[in-house]
Amino acid sequence: MTLEEILSVRPEPGQPRTYTFPSFTRTVLPSGMQVLVVQIPGRPLVSANLIVRRGASDEPADLAGATVLMARAMTEGTERYPGVELIEAAERLGATLGVDANWDGFVASVDVAASRLPAALALLAELVEHPTFPEADVARLREERLNDLLQVKADPRRRVDQAFTSTIYAAGSPYGRPAAGDEQTVPGLTPDALRRVHRTIQDPSRTALVVGGDITAADVLRAIGASVDLVPTPANLPADPSVGAPTVASGVDHPIVRFYHRPGAVQTELRIGHVGLPRRTPDFYAVQVMGAILGGLFNSRLQMNLREDKGYTYGIGAGFDMRRAAGPFSVRTAVQTPATVPSISETLSELRRIRETEVTPAELAAARDYLIGVFPLRFETPGAVVGALGGLYVQGLPDDELTRYRAAVDAVSVADVHKAARDHIHIDRLAIVAVGDFDTVGADLEAAGFGELEVIREELPTEIAEGGEVDE
Amino acid sequence: MTAPNVRFSDERLANGLRLIISEDHLAPVVAVNVWYNVGSKHEVPGKTGFAHLFEHVMFQGSKHVAKAEHMSLVQGAGGTMNGTTWLDRTNYFETMPSHQLELALWLEADRMGTLLDALNQENLDNQRSVVKNEKRSSYDNRPYGAWFHKLQEHLFPPDHPYHHSTIGSMEDLDAASLEDVAAFFRTYYAPNNAVLSVVGDVDPAQARAWVERYFGQIPANRAIPPLGDMSLPPVIGSESRELVEDRVPLTRHFFGFRAPRMGDRRFDALEVAAQILAGGKGSRLHRRLVRDEHIAQDVGFFSLGLIGGASIMAGQVTVIPGVDPALVERVFEEELERLGREPVTDDELARARALIETYELEALQRVDERADRLSMYATLLDDPGMINRQLDRYLSVTAADIQAAAAEVLRPDNRAVVTYEPADDTTTGDAGEETAA
Repeated sequence: MTLEEILSVRPEPGQPRTYTFPSFTRTVLPSGMQVLVVQIPGRPLVSANLIVRRGASDEPADLAGATVLMARAMTEGTERYPGVELIEAAERLGATLGVDANWDGFVASVDVAASRLPAALALLAELVEHPTFPEADVARLREERLNDLLQVKADPRRRVDQAFTSTIYAAGSPYGRPAAGDEQTVPGLTPDALRRVHRTIQDPSRTALVVGGDITAADVLRAIGASVDLVPTPANLPADPSVGAPTVASGVDHPIVRFYHRPGAVQTELRIGHVGLPRRTPDFYAVQVMGAILGGLFNSRLQMNLREDKGYTYGIGAGFDMRRAAGPFSVRTAVQTPATVPSISETLSELRRIRETEVTPAELAAARDYLIGVFPLRFETPGAVVGALGGLYVQGLPDDELTRYRAAVDAVSVADVHKAARDHIHIDRLAIVAVGDFDTVGADLEAAGFGELEVIREELPTEIAEGGEVDE
Repeated sequence: MTAPNVRFSDERLANGLRLIISEDHLAPVVAVNVWYNVGSKHEVPGKTGFAHLFEHVMFQGSKHVAKAEHMSLVQGAGGTMNGTTWLDRTNYFETMPSHQLELALWLEADRMGTLLDALNQENLDNQRSVVKNEKRSSYDNRPYGAWFHKLQEHLFPPDHPYHHSTIGSMEDLDAASLEDVAAFFRTYYAPNNAVLSVVGDVDPAQARAWVERYFGQIPANRAIPPLGDMSLPPVIGSESRELVEDRVPLTRHFFGFRAPRMGDRRFDALEVAAQILAGGKGSRLHRRLVRDEHIAQDVGFFSLGLIGGASIMAGQVTVIPGVDPALVERVFEEELERLGREPVTDDELARARALIETYELEALQRVDERADRLSMYATLLDDPGMINRQLDRYLSVTAADIQAAAAEVLRPDNRAVVTYEPADDTTTGDAGEETAA
């Protein structure tokens, strides 16, 4: 056969190997803490995440940033290991420690060889239970955060992200503020404030230890010194209604444009969207498929239009960031300055189109096949599996959520996608937030009439420096 | 812990395509990874950014694949894909559910064999525009965005192929013609200039048969022009400095050093040194500059392995407002020079080794990473077996090795320092960090 004859025939897929998301066990300790263990043979490393269902959205507004700062400060010293000694002890085990918090929860994690898991878990427990929050170190971390806020202002993509969320949420909605705190709240994050937040995460009834790797549930229970009488059970709990959610509300009730002027910017950073959906929305799977078609796939409608047809951008994406309460829905891109107004027009027309007409069966199949097919690729390593199980716990989702994921995606129809777009994309309260050179595009933008326009000409930190407010 | 034991076969088709297959049935996943031995170092003056622009063109269709259809076929099959361009090479990769392996091989073969049948001005112009937006977004409109390009200019003389950035200049991107693209393809995108790695849930005999079928008849180019001599004096000879006023709020120093090539034992020692210097909160630079003296916001030090003349060791430190930038620079440099004066402690070395072991094993868990490393070691060092020996090489680095390598490399007369400081006027430039499609 010639090369042409060979290449002109597209190969057919083979027989797929059956795949099911790894099963896991649950043991409830007398304290109420859960231990979830997923055995994944053949992997030399074990991943362990200690998760608390309490995050930045649970902290009081005047202490905004306290949960994130507390997580960062935990590796600055504990009762048994002052200073960096805990980090050093972990390093000697070859254990990579991480402590972090987000809106929904707190996670302390470690990756380590299975043989060193008991020692690594002991360090994890010490770190979570006995941090000392030394005054000087907390002060330094506060200053680091304040300096980072200067960097946020200067970096167009970080600036627009922050401006977008503060625009779409009403005052008082936690998601509208930066999770790590802002210039108003960070100075008040004293060691005592961190200790107050720390007490709230010392709650076994809201805590799970999730471990994955070439180990058994018994190995893990032994490693944490749990009673030998405890028996792990196959995990099959339904959704947990006790998981609360913060109260959030939209700060936008009509289309608006908020433009942060950056003289001479060669691109405009754009975020277009509104308050979206919580993770436990009944339409979750239809929304996933709709989001993939609109702005998730490489060849999504937005990418094909603004990148592959018009060449306005290196990339454009859209999606719903789902949390315990309604996270943002956003279209995200950076476009060459002269293409700012046409890029917004094209984006709006794609948002209208997916609401007004049904997607084609081919588009539905492309998105569905991708989400179903890529699912096993996402869970190749213990770290990925453990992360996903932690997500289930934090959101209070049923134990079989990931097992039934592929069938649920497969059941999504064209009508479901259309309904999801109509119900969850809100043209009438879109916020268009931009960081770019307003003086170049302003006249066209005003003429386009996308919505009520507000232009913000803020001083950059470098200009503040010249004004003497920052001594440089 | 167990040392890596990646078993693989290594062979060449009659047309010169190097094929590496590694079997692992843990997950129903397979990685396909093609490295072409062409990077921005092959570009000539006036045609910078060309290798990377070409990488974008590789996704614009071939004779049997329409524009952008590569992505829809891969994603529709439940796979992921991308391509990246760097100084030494260009690579293309797909990770697929294992029953879709044949599709990925066919896609790679179709563009290796028939790309020019689909090439047209409209697609070239479209991707030129996309790449110019990539440059704006990744470098020009980003604080400190041009730092790496500036270091390249200081570390390598103007006539050296590492002197210019991978993303290239706007003028050169504008000047790229269809004929340039076609000539570039005919010259470098030949099977005898490529390594194809297939790793994961695969039947090697079946994979070999498919590769033979789809790639076997693609003609070799027996006249690939050799690169000129890229050798360099091991040390720059004098310190090189640049002050950049940019729209940045905090002063940041970037440091670059000319270092031995990848595969040199001294380069291994410097990679371990980087872990001791800046690998996390227990490291020397973090401890001294961020934690104890509290004069820096953050620190970094890392290696960029290259094979043409020299590699790069690079570092950065962000100065806390109100602190004298000169002091911060001095302390940073003092710590680098100390490495050359006195041996690291046994405990520091033990901690670095333990962490490097975990990082290596963590990375090698994934089939895409294994495929990429096999292709990399085969392309750059002609030695895919390095995938199993590299960890051992790190673990056998001694304190004396680190001291000797640091004394040789981390010295003032081998150093470039680029300092970004706040100004209300913006300077823009371009830099060549790894560039993905």
